[in-house]
Order: sequence, then structure tokens, then C-alpha cells
Amino acid sequence: MKIIIVSSFVPFVHGGGRFIVEWLEQKLLEYGHQVERFYLPFVDRPLDVFDQILAYRLLDLTSSADRLIAIRPPAHVIAHPNKVIWFIHHIRSLYDLWDSPYRFVPDNPAGRAVRSTMVELDTKALREAKRVFTNSQVVAYRLKRYNGIAANPLYPPILNPERFRNDGYGDEIVMICRVELHKRQWLLVEAMRHVKTAVKLRLCGTSMDSTHRESIQSSICDYKLNAKIIFEDRWISEEEKIEKIASCLAVAYIPQDEDSYGYCSLEAAHAMKAVLTTEDSGGVLELVNDRVNGLVVAPDPIALADAMDRLFLDRISTANMGNANKRRLSDLRIDWETVVSSLTL
Amino acid sequence: MGNGSKLVDLIRVLVINNAAPFIRGGAEEFADELVRRLNKTRGVEAELLRIPFRWDPAECIIEQILLNRNLQLYGVDRVIALKFPAYLIPHPSKILWLLHQFRQAYDLYDSGMSHLCDYESGKKITQLVRRADELCFKDCRALYTNSPITQARLRKYNGFESTVLYPPLINAEHFRGGDYGEYIFAGGRVGPGKRQHLLVEAMHYLESSTKLIVAGPLDDEAYGHRLRELAKKSNNADNIELRFGFHERHEIAKLVNGSLGCAYVPIDEDSLGYVTMEAFSAGKAVVTTSDAGGVLELVVDSETGFVTDPNPPMIAQTFDRLAGERKMAVKMGRAASALLDSKALSWEHAITRLLSDP
Repeated sequence: MKIIIVSSFVPFVHGGGRFIVEWLEQKLLEYGHQVERFYLPFVDRPLDVFDQILAYRLLDLTSSADRLIAIRPPAHVIAHPNKVIWFIHHIRSLYDLWDSPYRFVPDNPAGRAVRSTMVELDTKALREAKRVFTNSQVVAYRLKRYNGIAANPLYPPILNPERFRNDGYGDEIVMICRVELHKRQWLLVEAMRHVKTAVKLRLCGTSMDSTHRESIQSSICDYKLNAKIIFEDRWISEEEKIEKIASCLAVAYIPQDEDSYGYCSLEAAHAMKAVLTTEDSGGVLELVNDRVNGLVVAPDPIALADAMDRLFLDRISTANMGNANKRRLSDLRIDWETVVSSLTL
Repeated sequence: MGNGSKLVDLIRVLVINNAAPFIRGGAEEFADELVRRLNKTRGVEAELLRIPFRWDPAECIIEQILLNRNLQLYGVDRVIALKFPAYLIPHPSKILWLLHQFRQAYDLYDSGMSHLCDYESGKKITQLVRRADELCFKDCRALYTNSPITQARLRKYNGFESTVLYPPLINAEHFRGGDYGEYIFAGGRVGPGKRQHLLVEAMHYLESSTKLIVAGPLDDEAYGHRLRELAKKSNNADNIELRFGFHERHEIAKLVNGSLGCAYVPIDEDSLGYVTMEAFSAGKAVVTTSDAGGVLELVVDSETGFVTDPNPPMIAQTFDRLAGERKMAVKMGRAASALLDSKALSWEHAITRLLSDP
């Protein structure tokens, strides 16, 4: 089949929003399809948000391919007789983040008109599609709630998961992802003040926000936790990542209300490691069940410290949960076979 | 990406090009190479933005202009835009490196060869294209064109001055030269505009046992058929090899590197022609015709190759001369390579220019 994948991007920003597109492209090619991928720019800005969406709508790809797969919004507004949408999020400031500091228009008649126009436009574009999938249950709920559209989650796998291996269980709990306030590495640092065992914490990753990185670094010093916490403030290579996960005790991922489970939770599962997360982590909870394939605790330092000690002390349970985590992947059908067959059906 | 602190000093350059889904040609390879070269430049991070473009039916050109003018860029320090209408995307620091204009609205329209001539609204659409172009050109930081011909058109139709910046060779490292074999090589796209039939016909008149190898993708099947028929009827049918289809760059390079000389006889080419540059880079003389356009900026008769009338018997004579006077073939090849060097057609030069403007 001739397939065009379209997604939006911000030039020079790399991350999850591109992985899902480029990995899918690679897999469709492996499955023998002809694939052309387009990224178009999009800036989530109030004044010209509709002008930009108009530009997307004016793209004429109707006769260029047998199928269009639209991923990041507003790619879903592009017209095609055989359109499939893998919906990964709304323009959230006009949806679930309306009552938050992220809202970019005022809550007045004009602002509310922007919001309702967006909802109407999204609903229309989504209805045109042959099929709509989401990347998580959370996003599927939102589609139902705001647009009245029923969609099933189609969980995004990671590329070449067989690279991840298990070399046993050391003393380190690792968290490998961008270092951001809402990813809450800082909360794990706080928790480490309260652990009673010899459990260690390794944080790998960096961010554009140097102030935040520095504040984590200085907390570690202030709490005199240098011996127990290793903070590698850089992007580690894939090989290093595989290595660290292979030998760790468990993986921590405690973002605040994330849309999806996060690729690092999947990496843990492929390496048969348990995931430590919090009750408010959002999409992570679609993957992780407490005491089944990880631990789910309250987002406070004491509870996290207690969970870390449990992982350290009860190594048999920790290993069992790690094994269960791998089984969880097949239960949820998180694999490329499922993704490719759903999107090319 | 390195560690975060380095990000501050990077200049982020977005290269913008058109795209026709599932079709790749010279312009696509050129854009990819430009991005690769920019990324190799210290302090530069580059990325390519490709905008699908559809120009038929004519009315959709209007939509495509609107589309590109409505897109917004964020987090980009500099734009290098190559083609219409993708270059209409607004940006305060835009450099144009024009490979060619949307010729259907310019010279091809005037000469009756544009698809827009078939539309009642054609005239209006050409005016719209020209107006959109002028609004864009006026705001660009600098205008570069790929050849004096493109430069002259820009001046004639839009009244804008530009600087010629020749597109450097792609994969120059492959075209390093080699032995001078027993064949003339003719690379590049195969089609009526490139007139490979002149070369095949020339073989009929050849006195030496020199071979002709034609290798490249076919523009249309009918032309391929015509060439095959011509070859069959030739006195030297056994010495003609037609290899239609796509070839990897290293295969083409191998054919260039081992040839006695190259032949390239397009009609009124816009630019120097990659085929010429590849041959020159490999130290091979080029046979061309007096009506080949931009190619004549490089090929000087009896110095870096031969320039003849577009007539097969005369072309045959140049092939025979190359075969008979091999020392001359080698000498002209060396001169060709030196001329190419003297033109400063390197990527380093081009990138310095593109990034130097305020």
C-alpha cells in the first residue's frame, strides 16, 4: 500500500512526538509498504492557530496515496478518502487544560468561541476518518467526552525492544528521561532522604532548563546524598541506557498526570524490571498495576522512600513483578504487529 | 544532540523545499545534501522541511500559495528556501537559493508551454504567482540563484537582482577519476530535453571502436523505445549500451571515473548541469553542443571538451578524436578538473555565503 504519514512538529525539537512517527514509518517499510512521511510546522499560539490549521486543510494529498495516517494535531484535519488517525493529544490548552495556567486565550466570549470552534473543527475532522485510534486510554476518554468519538487505544511500542535485556538486579533504581519539573525527579531526591536501606538512585537525562537541573544538583549536595544518588546530567547513549536498565533493581517513572505510559516504562518492561510510579502519574497507570508489575504509591517522599526500601529488601517480589511487566506487554498487545495491522486494515 | 549548554550557541537553519509524494529527483538529493553539509558545519544545526506541492489543476496553485503563507515557524534562526511555493512560508531571516522559479507562471507561460495556458484563469494565476513571489522576495535577507539563466529571469520578470551561487556537486568524493577506458559515458535523466538520441545517432557515423554507455532514469517510455530502435539500426549497434533506470550514485561514479570522456547534450540547460560537474570532477572532457545553455559555462571547445553543432556526424567526429588522441583526452580532462576547482564550487564556499548574510 502507498501510505503517507503526516504529523506536525516544531523544528529542532526532538522527542516522543517524533519517535512514534519515525518508528511507524520504519515498521511500515519493513512490512512492505511504500511510505512517505511529512512533518509540517505548527505553533500552538492563539492569534493564528486557525490560520495554520487552514494551511493543513489546504494540503491536497487525496490522490497521492492509498492511505493517509495522521498523527500529531492538526494533521488530522487533512482531507483524504482513506484517512486513519492515530490521535496522540488534543490542543490541550483548549480542552482539559482550559482551567489551568496553560490556557492561551482568556475565559471570555471571544476565548470561549475559539474553544468551541476548535472542538467543532476537531470533531468534524475526526468524523471524516475511516478509523480513529489513540495512544492511550486517557486520550480515548477525552475524545469521547469532548468530541463524542469512540476510539480504541493503540499502544505505541518502542523500536527494536529486543535490545533490552536483564542482567540481574543491582542496588540502583533508575529514572532515565528528560529532567523536568513535571517529570518530578526532584520528588525522588526528596524521597531518598527517608530511605532506610542501602538502595541507590540514578537519574539520567537533562533539559533546556538549566535552573531546574542545577537545583536538583544542589539538593543532592545539600542533603549530603552524593553517595546514594548519581545524577548524570546529559543524554546518555542507547547502549548506556540498555546497560543501566539491564543491571538496575527497578525503574522509576513518576511524571505528573502524563497522557501516556511513557517509553521508559516500556523499556523497563522489555528488560523485565518492575516500575515504581505514583497514583497521579496518569497514563503510566494503564500499564502499571500496584504489586503486580510494579509499585503505585502516593506522590510523597515518605511513601516513595518506603516503596524503594521494599523493592530493595524483597528482591523475589521485585523480580517477580519485573517478569510480570513483560507479560503485561503481551496482554495489552503493545507490539508492532498490532500497530501495523490496525493502521493498514 | 550534545549536552544542553551547547544549545545556546547553535544557529538553527531550516532548509525548505517542495515535495511531490513518492517522487525523488535531483532537487531532493540536493536539499538532503545541503542539510547534511550544514549539519557538518560547526555551530549549525539543520533540518529539512518538505511541503507537498500540487500544481494541477491550475486553481489549486491559489490554495497552495495561501497554504504556505499561512504556516508559522518557531525556534528557527535562519531559513534557506529553495522552491516555490514552499519559500512563501514567512520568516524574518529567510535566504532564497532559487533553483528555478515556478516556470509555468513565467517563461513557459510566455512561450506557450505552460499548463496554465490551457486555463481561462491562467493569466490571472500567473499574475498571482508573480505577486506572491515579489512580496516574498522583497522580504528575503538575500537572493541567490543557481545560474545566470535563473538570475536573468528573476531580473526580467520580477525586477530583482540576485547573486549566482552554483549548487556544488553532490557526493563529490565519489568522482575522483580513474583510467581512461574505451567508452564515452552519458549520464543523467534520459529524455527528449536531454537529447541522448543525438548521441545514439552519432554512433552510426563512428569510425573508431569506441563504445557509448547511456545510463539514467527514463523520463518517458516512448523515448526509451525510440533510443532502442535507433541503436538497433546503427552501424555500431554492438557498441551501444543503454542502461535505463535508477542507478546508485557509486555506480554512476564508477562509469564516469572509468570513461574516456563524457557526453552531455541537453537543449538549453538552466544550470551547469550535474552531469558536467561530475565529469569535470573526475577529470573527464565533456562533449556538448552549441545550444546546451548553462553547460557552455564550463565546456570550452578544445580546452575542457568539445562543443559542436547538435548534429550526429559532427558529434561522432569528437568521439573519434577523443579515441584517436588519448593524450588530448587526458589533457582536456585535467583542464576540466582545474576549471571546476577555480570556480569555487565547493560546499564550504556555498555554506559560508548562505550563513554570512546579516
